[in-house]
Amino acid sequence: MLYNNNKIALVDCNSFYVSCERLFNPSINKKPVVVLSSNDGCVISRSTEAKTLGIKMSEPYFKVKKIVKENDVRIFSTNFALYGDISRRVMKTLRQFSPQMEIYSIDEAFLNLSSVKNENLLEHAYKIRKTILKWTGIPTSIGVASTKTLSKAANYIAKKEKSGVIDLINSKKTDELLSEIKINDVWGVGKQLTKFYIKNGINTAYDLKKTHNGWVKKNTNVFGSRTAMELRGFPCISLEPQEEKRKNCCVSRSFGRKVTKLEELSEAVTTHCLNAAEKIRLNKQTVKKITVFIRTSPFQIGNNYYANSKDVDLPIRTNDSIMLIKQALIALKSIYKKGYRYQKTGIIFSNLKDSDIYKKNLFSEINNDEKRIKLMQAIDHTNTRYGRNSLSIAQAGLKKKWNVKKQHASKIDTSCFNFLPTVKIA
Amino acid sequence: MKLLLPFHLQKVGSGFPSPATDYIEDDIDLNVHLIKNIPSTFLIRVQGKSMNKVGIHNDDILVVDRSLNPKNCSTVVVSVNEELIVKTFIKEKNQSFLTSESKEIKDKINLTENPEIVIWGVVTYVIHAL
Repeated sequence: MLYNNNKIALVDCNSFYVSCERLFNPSINKKPVVVLSSNDGCVISRSTEAKTLGIKMSEPYFKVKKIVKENDVRIFSTNFALYGDISRRVMKTLRQFSPQMEIYSIDEAFLNLSSVKNENLLEHAYKIRKTILKWTGIPTSIGVASTKTLSKAANYIAKKEKSGVIDLINSKKTDELLSEIKINDVWGVGKQLTKFYIKNGINTAYDLKKTHNGWVKKNTNVFGSRTAMELRGFPCISLEPQEEKRKNCCVSRSFGRKVTKLEELSEAVTTHCLNAAEKIRLNKQTVKKITVFIRTSPFQIGNNYYANSKDVDLPIRTNDSIMLIKQALIALKSIYKKGYRYQKTGIIFSNLKDSDIYKKNLFSEINNDEKRIKLMQAIDHTNTRYGRNSLSIAQAGLKKKWNVKKQHASKIDTSCFNFLPTVKIA
Repeated sequence: MKLLLPFHLQKVGSGFPSPATDYIEDDIDLNVHLIKNIPSTFLIRVQGKSMNKVGIHNDDILVVDRSLNPKNCSTVVVSVNEELIVKTFIKEKNQSFLTSESKEIKDKINLTENPEIVIWGVVTYVIHAL
């Protein structure tokens, strides 16, 4: 039964990071491939062949090392410069199929297909899939349905289909398909909710769909009931074509090796501040509060574990890297303790707002402010033109010995002249 | 309501205005001319030998458009034997081939007989430093 005229497609790239690596490296096309998170820690993308071998998502690398060795699995560290550029290309290509589109993540987007006639939906979805594959080389799966939650569910099933496309709008088997989806795989149902639903005998998407709405509303929250309504075909979550500006900005990394010295921690904190400050300036935002945190590995035994954080409330809103670094380093110094082997540090800029950097405070030094704004603009321009970190601050360190391990990264960047992919002549 | 003021390329001064202001256009943007389809076009660097007849040399940069279908005599990037290579695409009657500048017959590949070979993209321009 159709309750509305909404038609939403969720387009999701298959094994996106692996597909990006394969684009310029046909030698790994039919082989098992995995991409590891920063510091080569966990598996974050797997080819179908790697999935078949039993390699699970988010599994730590050391746990799958044996399978990797025995089956000649190809390993890659992340190459986000490449993934980011390919993602932009996929999204640009998608946009021509519908002006109303919500980029949901690096490899997923919702498209509004309400203007497509029902009988043409399937054909249209195939065309989208074919075009993305031809233009960008990235395989996708597409789920079409009347709500976002249902399109996510359709996509989940489409991933397992050879055709890669599932259209629930023209399907008579919707309930059958929904009963194949476990409750924890339903979009919007988290860990806690899953536990609660299973305890109450709700094991699949279909179970939730037929559960009385009054019960869901009473026992969960507004989000829980929205999900249930959406599974029934009532749209409750609308498409958000405009990217909402972020309210927080967190940059944190695990070190490539354990770090003990304050100098090295300071370099890392400075580097993170620079990255975050660049991001918020790009969004024309300013920050009012910084949090700095450090911690050792949680697996440290006994008294060797230490974790701490410190909030700094800034006297005035700013997006000036130098000022932010100054404050962050003071905070770092106050929580740093000698004798620990630190594994991770990070900073969070919170309470972000649109910049009104010209608004002056009683204590602000007027002349300096304008000079600094220009300096920041100059830094940003230089780094966009000549590549990241072309112009940095000496405090961030030059060698960055603490930096993340990326032993298996492909050195390709399709958006940088010096790291273009290569081709041979035969 | 927003009032839009006309934008002047030249500062209003007391002297005689430059007669060229009416003819000033933007700088030439090579992207506009060399890249017809942005999301499907990649720049790829040539490594190794040259294709003298076509005019492709070692270290040149190829502009490759994946959205195009090759025509007879198109220069193409193909995936053969787990490698990306540059070849010439030939269409004869109902069959299509890939050739290279070498005279050896084994270098001529019949695409109809080798369906596993995929055309990666069509080369549209070569950027060559002199």
